[in-house]
Formats: sequence, C-alpha cells, structure tokens
Amino acid sequence: MSAVITARGLTKRYGKRTALDGTSFEIQPGRIVGLIGPNGSGKTTTLKAILGLCRFDGELSVLGMDPRKQRDALMNDVCFIADVAILPRWLKVKDAIDFVAGVHPRFDRDKAERYLANTKLTPNLRVKSMSKGMIVQLHLALVMAIDAKLLVLDEPTLGLDIMYRKQFYQHLLEDYFDENKTIVITTHQIEEVEHILTDLLFIRDGRITLAASMDEIGERYTEVMVEPQQAAAANALQPMTQRTVFGKSIMLFDGVPRQQLQNLGELRTPSVADLFVASMKGSYE
Amino acid sequence: MKTMQWLIRREYWENKGSLVVVPLVLAALMVLFTAVMAVKGQNATFTINTPDGAVSSADVLMGARQQRVVTDVMATAYPLVAAPLYVAMAFSVFFYCMGSLYGERRDRSLLFWKSLPVSDTATVLSKAALALLLIPLGTLVLGLATAIVITMIGLGVLAMNGPNLVPQLLGSGQLWLTAVKLVSLLPVYMLWALPTVGWLLMVSSWARSKVFLWAVGAPLITAALLAWANKMGGLAIDVEWLFQNVISRLLISVVPGSWFTVESLHVAVENAGRASGRDPTGALDAIYMQSWAALGTVHLWLGVLAGAAMIGVAIWMRQRREET
Repeated sequence: MSAVITARGLTKRYGKRTALDGTSFEIQPGRIVGLIGPNGSGKTTTLKAILGLCRFDGELSVLGMDPRKQRDALMNDVCFIADVAILPRWLKVKDAIDFVAGVHPRFDRDKAERYLANTKLTPNLRVKSMSKGMIVQLHLALVMAIDAKLLVLDEPTLGLDIMYRKQFYQHLLEDYFDENKTIVITTHQIEEVEHILTDLLFIRDGRITLAASMDEIGERYTEVMVEPQQAAAANALQPMTQRTVFGKSIMLFDGVPRQQLQNLGELRTPSVADLFVASMKGSYE
Repeated sequence: MKTMQWLIRREYWENKGSLVVVPLVLAALMVLFTAVMAVKGQNATFTINTPDGAVSSADVLMGARQQRVVTDVMATAYPLVAAPLYVAMAFSVFFYCMGSLYGERRDRSLLFWKSLPVSDTATVLSKAALALLLIPLGTLVLGLATAIVITMIGLGVLAMNGPNLVPQLLGSGQLWLTAVKLVSLLPVYMLWALPTVGWLLMVSSWARSKVFLWAVGAPLITAALLAWANKMGGLAIDVEWLFQNVISRLLISVVPGSWFTVESLHVAVENAGRASGRDPTGALDAIYMQSWAALGTVHLWLGVLAGAAMIGVAIWMRQRREET
C-alpha cells in the first residue's frame, strides 16, 4: 500500500519565524503516529498543512490529494479534532448528530448514538452547559462515527482530567482504530499515548529529527542503569544523556548493540518521554 | 442541495432568537396592542378619509359606495400596518450578516465546521441565502398575516358601530392580490440588498475584531476624510454622490423599499401619492410598478455586481484565512 501522507520539503514562514524548514516525512496506512515536539517546533503547522488549513511551500500528498487544492474532497476521508473547545456553544447534541449525518456521507448515526448512550449526554443538552470532558465526548462520538481514512488529533485531551483522557484513548483504540485507518496525534502528554503509538515522528525547529516505528526504537535505543564501577566504560560508549536516580547513573544509548551494554548494568527500553527529552536537549537554550 | 438544507438549518439553530423569536414577539405585541386599544377604546371614534368625504366610526351609516371604497383602501394599504416588522427585519439582516462569519472565528467553531466536507462556497452562500431570501420571505409572510389580523380587529371595532366590512374585505380579490404583489417584489429586494449583504459578509470574514467599527465606521470615516479633503485641498469629489451611490448601498440597502432613494423611481410614486385623494389604490400600484422599474436602473445592477464580488471575496477569505 502506498503512503497515506507524503511530505517533501514543507516550508512555512510566519513573518520572520520559520515554522517548517523543509520538513519531509511519510506516514503509512494502518499506523498510529505520534508527532512530538516542543512548543513552537512546527507540530500544529504540520497538521494544518495536512488538513489544508494553511498555505505552505513544498510537496504534500494526503490520500493522493493536495490539501491546498482539493480540500473539500479531502474532508470526505479526513477527520480532525483540533482543540477541545471548538464545538459552538449553541449546538445541541441531537442537532450536532443530525447535522453531521446530513452533510457527511460516511457518518454512521447508530454508532454515534451507541457511543453517546454510555455517557451523560442527553439529546437536548447544549454545548454551553457541558463540562469540558463532555464536549470532548460529544466531539469524539461524532468523529468516531465517521469512517474516515485519516484522523488527525491536535492535543485532543488538553484540559481534561485523567479519567476522560484514559477513556478517550481507550475508545479510540477499541472502537475506532483498525488496519484501514491512520491516526496522527500530537500531544504533550506523551506518557499517556506512548503505549498506543506504532510510530514516532520527532520534530524540532521545523525539521523531523526522528522517524521510526516503536519496534525500531526498541532496537535502536537502550537505557542502562549503570553500576558505579562501570561508569567510565559506559561513558566511553558516548551516551546521549545521563541522569542520576538514587545514586545510580541512567544512561541512554543510541545504536549501541545490547550485547555490548549488558555488562554495564540493567538494560531496559527507554520511555518515549525520556527519549524525547534526551533528543530535544538544548532546544530551549 | 442536501448540504445546503443542513447549512440553513444550522443557521436557524444558531440564530433562532434574533431571526424567529424577536419578529414573532414583535408581531404578537402589535396584535395585542391593537386588541387592547380596540377593547379599551370602545367609545373612541376613528375616521377614514375617502374621496367621498370622511367616514367616522361614530357614523353608523355608510353608503354601499362608501363601503366599497373603504374596503378597497384597506385591501390595498393594509401591509403598511406591519411596517415595524419590516424595519426590525432590516436590523436583523444587518446584524446577522455582520456577525455570521466573524462569530464562527471568534468562538473557534470554524475549525469544527471546516473538519466536515462542506465547502466554503456552500457555507457562505447559505448565509447569503438566509439574509436575502429566507429572512425577507418569512418576514413578509408574518407581516402580511399580522397586518390582516390587525385590520380585522379594526374592522371589528367598526362593525360594532356600523357596517360589518369583514366579509367584504375577505371576499375582495384585492386583499390577496396585494399580498401576491408584495411577495413578487422579493426579487427586487434580493438584488437591491445584495451589495449591503455582500459588504457585511466580506467585513465579517475579514475583520479580526470590532466588526461593527469596520463595517459602519470605515465607510463613514472614508466619506468624512473625503469631505475634509474636499474642503482643504479643493478636490472635486462629489461627497453627496458618494453617499448616495456607494455608502448608503453598503449600509442601508437591506431596508425594504430603500430603492426609492433613486430619484427616477420616487418621483413617479410621489406624483401618484399626491393623486391618492382621488385614486387611493393608484399610489400603491405606483409603488409596485416603480419597484419593478428599479430592475431597469444601472444603479441596481452595478450594486448586484459589487455585491456578488464581495461575496466572492468573503468565500475566498474563508478559504485562505489562517487562524493562529
């Protein structure tokens, strides 16, 4: 199967600031990709480019279409949740369902209603009298009932409590995702999404600094809890970072074979968050 | 087409208060007010001037000819009773257009609407359709109904003191013909109001904040500056012309009947108005004829072109604008 998204040399400037600096990447179908980067690294701009919400230079193909020119057609197969608070305040639950059912050819009303039946949302409830979590539940119900090929989530759980956040990702995985769909997520809450991601894209200063599947990451990066007496030997292998926890050094290695590391101490696969912090070192300096 | 129907329903959900509830309440109040006056003013008299002399409700006697004339006048002029509704409509359309494309950006629901397969063209056109067709049509129907009810109440008062003209009025073809004539003016209104609707939609899609200031202030300040430049620098700009042909077209063309500001149109109506003593229905006929004659003016069609272009810009802005 060909890639869902192919980007080549995306460039975008806001005045003097460069948001995207020749960004290139590919996203394959059936993957859940985390697009992760510090604030101002170009995450949201990348997503906006994919969704045809901003102009840019470079080549970009989403589901074989150019989002700059074929946005209306593209939206039949692409869905997105851009932020939590974007449902209009006057909208009622039942009107929201009627409207999306009316304009979207791929909307499955039963599915949305089944999902809503498990929430506290009632048909006549308006968005303005909902809590933030309930608004996201409604939005998710609408989006999950659309049989889209690509779902883009930009900080979808911002401002939600842990219960709603867990529930959100659980539903996404259980009720929505399948091998024909592709999900792209940006979030700062890396810990909560890392177990559902299949691929990682790290972005920094408008460039992709890492593009790998989670399996590749497990093979390539190793974290070692270095025994004190092995510290010199470990340092010789040039760790990406090291930090100290309870008197023990924890070092992160990139591309060093595990056989070579296992004598130094206990090995484990680094968390995405640790990897992220290590690879973004210096980005605020 | 199905999408358009849902877009219009969406506008209805969002603006039910100002576009539906307000006119209904206003109409109800007008009827109520009339009814209260009819009941409380049992002994009051009213006078209708006719070519055959004044008819007062205190007089219980009316000749058949007088009755016919009174019925004719009423059957022709009754829509005027609903004037407050038409004025209110002009305000609703104005503020509806001004807020529509700005509101969705302000509450950030724009991104939700944009996540659905609905084109910017369809969205903007749905708002224009509401402003130009559905709101005026609804107001017209409501206005006619209200005017008939109020007229009937008036005739009821008359019937208590004299002849009962209700059956005669309802049976006169003129009553219904007037309604049809009025509704038939809708296309004139649509074309005439287009530049104002286009201007407001354009400002609404473009202004980052303070839409009212841009929509109303910008044209007025421009005019003031030009007037000042005229005085100071002796520029040969005809500010009055500018007001009549540009600024008023951007701001007040949503007022029904505002096409009579065009001189060639209102002169004939005024003449007919002066003759209305002899021919009461003639003045109203002149209004209809001259309204249709507006379609023959270059003025109207230039406005249509400008309005369509500004709606085009509004669509383009909604497509291209980037929210940061």
